[in-house]
Amino acid sequence: MGRGRTLAVLLCGLVLTACATTPPTPEMAANNDPYEPTNREMLQINGKIDRYFVVPTVAVYFVLVPDSGRRAVHRFLENLTLPTTLVNDLLEGQATRGGQTAARFAINTTIGLGGFLDPAGRMKIPDHGADFGVTLGAWGVDEGPYMVLPFLGPSNPRDAFGLAVDVGLDPTNYIPFKQHIWWGAGRYYFTVLDLRGQTFQTVQTIQRSSIDYYSALRSFYRQLRANAVRAVRPQKPQDLPDF
Amino acid sequence: MRFQPILRRAFLVMAVAAATSLAVSVPAQANPAEDYVQGNINKGLAVLNNKQLSTEQRRSQFEGFLLGLTDMKRIADFTLGQYRRTANPADLAAFEGAFQNYATAVYQSYFSKYAGQTLKVTGSQARTLDDFIVATQLIDPGDHSGQEPLEVDFRVRTDTGKPVVVDFSVAGIWLALEERDQFTAFLGQNNGNIPMLVSHLAELAKQFRNN
Repeated sequence: MGRGRTLAVLLCGLVLTACATTPPTPEMAANNDPYEPTNREMLQINGKIDRYFVVPTVAVYFVLVPDSGRRAVHRFLENLTLPTTLVNDLLEGQATRGGQTAARFAINTTIGLGGFLDPAGRMKIPDHGADFGVTLGAWGVDEGPYMVLPFLGPSNPRDAFGLAVDVGLDPTNYIPFKQHIWWGAGRYYFTVLDLRGQTFQTVQTIQRSSIDYYSALRSFYRQLRANAVRAVRPQKPQDLPDF
Repeated sequence: MRFQPILRRAFLVMAVAAATSLAVSVPAQANPAEDYVQGNINKGLAVLNNKQLSTEQRRSQFEGFLLGLTDMKRIADFTLGQYRRTANPADLAAFEGAFQNYATAVYQSYFSKYAGQTLKVTGSQARTLDDFIVATQLIDPGDHSGQEPLEVDFRVRTDTGKPVVVDFSVAGIWLALEERDQFTAFLGQNNGNIPMLVSHLAELAKQFRNN
């Protein structure tokens, strides 16, 4: 499943490039969104998948699994990402953050019963995220043009490549019995349920309150990613317009 | 990626950045920009916590507070982007009014969600002599997840002689930048039709006020 996701990300990039047959308008170029027509269509397609498949499935998940259970699943899934987070912390030169990640993984995997519990949180060991897209940004790699990927949503060439690398870094993809398709499919399925369940109200709020949902999402994504890069490179000044 | 989990907290807190039922702790040595943010948050706190006001009175006073804290016209003009230059005065005035109505309606609809939380001023940065970013943290005493507190920043300008907040940032998302992206994208898709944007803003404001 891990290799499948990697291939999907790479193919998505190729598809988007192939679809960009219309020259970008000056506005698209100014927004660094030369694939905007394709991106808007992809957002609509993702929205339909979300509305007719993901959201109903999440609703069933919420009915069948109590809140305490869903939180445990969330913690378990988060714990599985920590080895990748640790590698990225080290690649970014963030020794303190790397130490926190290692501690959280060690404590939650053992005392926390594989990550279903969060004793590290009770010990006030801070949590944070790190991925190879941010690592590349910290190294000075530009994000590139905005993209909306099938199923995966907002991205850009740097982050899409980073996601593929993170999948490759994930050690659970190399443990023999876990290469069984059910492990990968199950993990991905519950990751989607978990993320969508957590963000349902937020996404709904953005959709209700925005004039143009597509560009609102684009702005949110870009600013969040820039902030994530700044978190590991605080000396990089915020690029804010003068007004 | 961490986009969606943070996004949930980020957007819901965004409207509360101006003022909510928050208490503010005072750093040992504050500067004028920090004093401005802290002092005005206290005024907003007093309005929102006043149980003797009716819902309409609280909304009206909150709007007055927000208008005193921010420069809505300046923010509105910024969010029009390149369309500001070609807008006729009538359309511009209509948009500024609609934007003010929309912004206050959106912020008011969410203020109640953060009762009991604490806004702590953690410092400030001078970008230029008249452009400051005041950093604060939103601390939820009921949150035991171990996650770092949410960061809420205020951009304060003093170039007109009076300090005003021109933008808010929650978890790194600057609201005026996001609104500019939206509005210019909408105008780009609709031949720069500002009256149409005004109409949409009015409709959205009405939806938020009715909820």
